[in-house]
Amino acid sequence: MGTDAVVLGAGTAGMVAALRLAAAGASVLVLAEGEGGLPLAPAQIDVLGYRPQLVLDPLGEIPGFLDSRPDHPYRLVEAAEVEAGLDWFLELAAPLGYTGNPHQNRLQPTAVGALRPTCLVPETMAAGDLSGGGSVLVVGLKGFRDFHAPLLAENLALARPPSGAEVRARSVEVSLLGDPRDLRPQLLVRRLEERPVLAELGREIRSRLEQEDLVGVPAVLGLERSHEVWQRLQELVGRPVFEIPTPPPSQPGQRLQQHLFRALRRLGGEVRLGARASGYRASGDRLVAVKVVTAAREVEIPADRFVLATGGIGTGGITAGPEGELREEVFGARVSRGGAPEEPLAEYMATQPLDRLGVEVDDEQRPVGGAGGALFENLWVAGAALAGAEPWREKSGEGISLATGYRAARLAGGGRA
Amino acid sequence: MNTWDTDVLVIGGGSTGAGVAWDSALRGLHVTLVDRQDFATGTSGRFHGLLHSGGRYAVRDPGSARECASENRILRQVAADCIEDTGGLFVSTPEDDLEYADRFLAAAQAAGMEIEEVPVGVAVRDEPRLNPKIRRAFRVQDGSIDSWKMISALLRGAQDHGATVLPYHKVVQVIRRGDRVEGAVMEDQRSGEEVLVHAGCVVNAAGAWSGQVAGLAGCEVGVRPGKGVMVAINHRLARAVLNRCHLPSDGDIIVPVRTVSVIGTTDHPVADPDDTECSPAEVHQMIEAGELLVPGFKESRALRVWSGSRPLLPKTETSAGAGDREVSRSHTVLDHGARDGVEGLVTIAGGKFTTLRLMAEDTVDVVVRKLGREAECRTRTEVLPGSESHHFYWIGNRQQEAETDPPDDPLICECELVSQHDLDTVVARRPNWRLDDIRRALRVGMGPCQGGFCAFRVAGMLHQGGRYGRAEANSALREFVQERWKGVKVISWGAQARQTRLDRWIFEGVYDLEHLPE
Repeated sequence: MGTDAVVLGAGTAGMVAALRLAAAGASVLVLAEGEGGLPLAPAQIDVLGYRPQLVLDPLGEIPGFLDSRPDHPYRLVEAAEVEAGLDWFLELAAPLGYTGNPHQNRLQPTAVGALRPTCLVPETMAAGDLSGGGSVLVVGLKGFRDFHAPLLAENLALARPPSGAEVRARSVEVSLLGDPRDLRPQLLVRRLEERPVLAELGREIRSRLEQEDLVGVPAVLGLERSHEVWQRLQELVGRPVFEIPTPPPSQPGQRLQQHLFRALRRLGGEVRLGARASGYRASGDRLVAVKVVTAAREVEIPADRFVLATGGIGTGGITAGPEGELREEVFGARVSRGGAPEEPLAEYMATQPLDRLGVEVDDEQRPVGGAGGALFENLWVAGAALAGAEPWREKSGEGISLATGYRAARLAGGGRA
Repeated sequence: MNTWDTDVLVIGGGSTGAGVAWDSALRGLHVTLVDRQDFATGTSGRFHGLLHSGGRYAVRDPGSARECASENRILRQVAADCIEDTGGLFVSTPEDDLEYADRFLAAAQAAGMEIEEVPVGVAVRDEPRLNPKIRRAFRVQDGSIDSWKMISALLRGAQDHGATVLPYHKVVQVIRRGDRVEGAVMEDQRSGEEVLVHAGCVVNAAGAWSGQVAGLAGCEVGVRPGKGVMVAINHRLARAVLNRCHLPSDGDIIVPVRTVSVIGTTDHPVADPDDTECSPAEVHQMIEAGELLVPGFKESRALRVWSGSRPLLPKTETSAGAGDREVSRSHTVLDHGARDGVEGLVTIAGGKFTTLRLMAEDTVDVVVRKLGREAECRTRTEVLPGSESHHFYWIGNRQQEAETDPPDDPLICECELVSQHDLDTVVARRPNWRLDDIRRALRVGMGPCQGGFCAFRVAGMLHQGGRYGRAEANSALREFVQERWKGVKVISWGAQARQTRLDRWIFEGVYDLEHLPE
């Protein structure tokens, strides 16, 4: 009995580390307090989008970016390893049709109509790269509150990709059959998996198409059967269709999560949700077990190696107290401000005091301990728990998680030690 | 230039001005009311929401206490929809002088307040979060009052009686001919167009800004702005308003208002009433102070912090004593004819939200005399629009409405239960809404998510409905996000820090607002 590796956190970083460890032969248990961070994000794989100027070649520009941001988590990972991680992900996520080039950012519309750089996208978004311009019919769904097609289209029509190519956009709004109150993404994905509803939507869009060569829709094209829904809608419409991400809960994020959970199970790993890690037991420099609260009691889960991928302040991995005290919740690891200012700035869109928080690590991604050495020799940190990044502004979140999760698994080693 | 005549031009659309407009309109005067911003954006929209029983002033300012006690009774009759009948408790915490409690009780009774001492056990039973170490407790008639609803009702009432009300109209010139003020020129802050209003009498109801307005007429009013900081805490920590029974100081009131509890407040003199910055130190002072009334207060989720400027009157303007909390919180009507030899201008200075009706009555009494008219004040008995049923507002009201809304009316704000129909109704009232105006009218964006989810919905819907152009929708969104940041940047801890991060992911990560075209 016993587990080779325990991974704390079921977001991108945690799942990547878990999958890599499992693929290398380790028995892996993933523990997450909530349901994991993936349903929060649009499931586009950002690597580096702004530094702060627009980045066209994310892999190629990371070294230059690090010159101005030496504390950034990308400092921990060799370019070749970032690339290896992305290549591995493309293969892993092939069933979701992930596509893209680590040396070439794509420019995809957001729900407000900005052109946003990202690197890899699922097939359902692939046609939405407007780097080379395009003419888009943006389709709104009546009653869906988180997607406003007219504003999106008007903003998009003003977007100018660096190629100088023209983006044209027009919007229409269609009603889904029945039009129930309070259309939420969780409900829409299921409605669109019903063939008659999808057929109706397809016919409606087709009848309102003019010269547009692309169709953009909110990212609600099915959940379990998204490939079929997306494919069928393209056939019905007669044009490439792409999804535009909406605020949480993200359905593409949900799809990616299910895919990664399943992939881990196939490798013999386990994901346990609703399990909050509350502490640990160590023997000298070695972590022996994590304590987990389940069903109102605390149990110890022993393992040989541990990966901390609980994220930062946004997911509760790190908390801030009213007196400014910062705490990494499971191990009490040292938290760094990552070079952010001490006092808040008046301007919202600036680097604020808590924006770059994270666990301070050594070159091996291990939390720094009291005397400057590693806190524990068998604990590695990955993803948003690392200090120094502002992924929402840089558009770097998944890249960091992939690269550091991939590397954490390599550092932690393969089979039973 | 668009020009018209009016009997009374009221400058200032806070509680004072709205009260004056309502009172004047009921007396048959034609009223024009202007404000440089939206209504209730100055001090009135930036207080804790306490409808005073008078207890706070009982010992030190008996005149104000008496006014509060009687005005509280009247407002409950005429403005029930704007009031929640929470009741209030004054409690002696372990740090408070018990001898003060005796003085307090005697003073409250002398001021005509309804007051009853209750056993500590009863107070703690009724308020489970209340500090069990309190030593005495007094029940009083405090309540909470929704300033936006109240001011909106006063203005709608005035409009029903023929008043013209103009938000975002800033006075740029007071028309003075010789020793007489004859009106003013206002500039529309959105279109830049000017309007000229000739008035029989101009009422300066600009509160903490009344010195600035009087200055435009060449008069001096020595109002000193006193800044007070407030923090809204998620959830209602108490049923009743909790007050410390001691000489008023900082952070000694917790007011349950709608879905939140507000703790207040501080009092620092500031040079500029527009100085609404709140420092982390001020916020921590509030949070620490809250512990004394509600142990564990510090662990609560702070949602937002803000400050407002009281219009304090120094002793040169009243007969009261010196020192900020010692200056009377009562009000004075300054007739600039008698005072400065400048006719046609009246300033209503000082005062507080609870006594807005009395302030208006006293002011309009002077105004009708100056206009040579005769008309009795009717605001003691005239019920405000929306309060006809005399039912107090209750926290479950919106849930009740949401449950009975038609099925095709989606919720756009889950935190505050605002539906699309609510939005449509409000924006139909006047043109040119900013998202922040809609927040005041509907509370959109005031709940735990601080606009993370609903701001884009409202902007998108107003754009789709033709009320916003593309660029307007973009800037409305940016402006709203920026405005909300002001209130959360110094309370970045606990669950709200986590929420702020999620909002950042949505605004910058998902939407990429930073790179949206202008």
